[in-house]
Amino acid sequence: MRSKIFSIIILILFLASCKTMDMDKAIDMTFTVIQETSKASRPISDEEEYFVGRAVAARLFQSYPLLENSRLTNYVNLIGNTVALNSEKPFTYGGYHFAILDTNEINAFACPGGIIMITRGMINLANNEDELAAILAHEIAHINNRDGIESIKQARWTEALTVIGTKAAKQYGSEDLVKLVNIFEGSIDDVLKTLVVNGYSRTQEYAADEKALIYLAKAGYNPEALLNVLNKLKAQERISNTGFLKTHPDNEDRITNIKNKIPEVNTDLKAFQNRTARFNSYLRR
Amino acid sequence: MNYRLIITLTFLILLISSVAFAETMTVITKTNVIRETPRFFGPVKAYVKYGDVIEALSRDGDWFRVRFRNITGFIHKTAVEKRTVSVSATNNQRTGVSEGEITLAGKGFNPQVERAYRNKYPQMRYDLVDRVERYNASEADLVSFIRAGGLTEPR
Repeated sequence: MRSKIFSIIILILFLASCKTMDMDKAIDMTFTVIQETSKASRPISDEEEYFVGRAVAARLFQSYPLLENSRLTNYVNLIGNTVALNSEKPFTYGGYHFAILDTNEINAFACPGGIIMITRGMINLANNEDELAAILAHEIAHINNRDGIESIKQARWTEALTVIGTKAAKQYGSEDLVKLVNIFEGSIDDVLKTLVVNGYSRTQEYAADEKALIYLAKAGYNPEALLNVLNKLKAQERISNTGFLKTHPDNEDRITNIKNKIPEVNTDLKAFQNRTARFNSYLRR
Repeated sequence: MNYRLIITLTFLILLISSVAFAETMTVITKTNVIRETPRFFGPVKAYVKYGDVIEALSRDGDWFRVRFRNITGFIHKTAVEKRTVSVSATNNQRTGVSEGEITLAGKGFNPQVERAYRNKYPQMRYDLVDRVERYNASEADLVSFIRAGGLTEPR
């Protein structure tokens, strides 16, 4: 019996090794095809998104000054990172970083890759930490959804892929580099046009609001804070129509969209008061 | 005896399949860490960087149990790209799946393109962008912040 079992083991090992060889060939072939196909029509990678985001941020800094307030900036980064860790993409290639723009304009920008800019005017609109977290959650959702990157024209990216090619070289010759820089520049323009002039689509905004509700609830913030923020933005609509108000859909519609989608959470009043107290201390209110 | 034989055979098949195939993953964030537990603030066992290839041992929710340079621990699923390749394929320079990922990642809009763009437009405020990228909330600060605010520690 022993020798029988031994023979069966040998046979299985033999068959398995044969199978492995065949599988190897099959996998090799499959991956070669996948690689070639993906290189020919692949989407923008996380690393490329990061470089686009940096350029978008650099361009925005030409129009908006950076607020030099390390204490407040650190606070906003703590809130933002807490929310980001509760998103479906807690890690991006370069990480999440939150900057405050020194302007009264009510606005916020999600640069692809993870840099998020919020204006002093927008921060002042918030009444407590949960509301500030809601604004940041909405921007984090845009990054998670790759909404900024999506605004790059397909034709531009297709052209980029022809220059990038399928070769392994990481360094481009001068001719290819000039072409690629022009495409890069065009891509930055596409993203900025969406961020500053046209805004995202209504569908993208609704999706970002809906995701923001989930992030807030998971992080322990009150998701109703987003509703409060939208109501405040709606009130601002009557006063002006610039910045965020210009590029976002009608706030009444956004309110209607999320009203029945707010997750139920247990509200810890004491914790909320503690958060509001530290918010007031950072904002010197 | 039949039961014994079936159990032995099943065990052997499982053993063979686990030996024949290894799951390798590539780190896709600039830096990251391998933790002792599958939690965001678990103790750090090793630091990894973009392009590092690690071996996936199992899955635990949003985390992979991995091995990297003889260190075993956990890394979040969004910090890596998972590839299933045969052992022979891993060593096969012709196929080079992991290698392919790395070279692909270094292509396209990369540091060379950014440098050329910056040279073309020296007025761009990349100095401020670099400063913003240095804004980093430390783990210790984040944990204190979350606890003090009665928030939920991410898992």
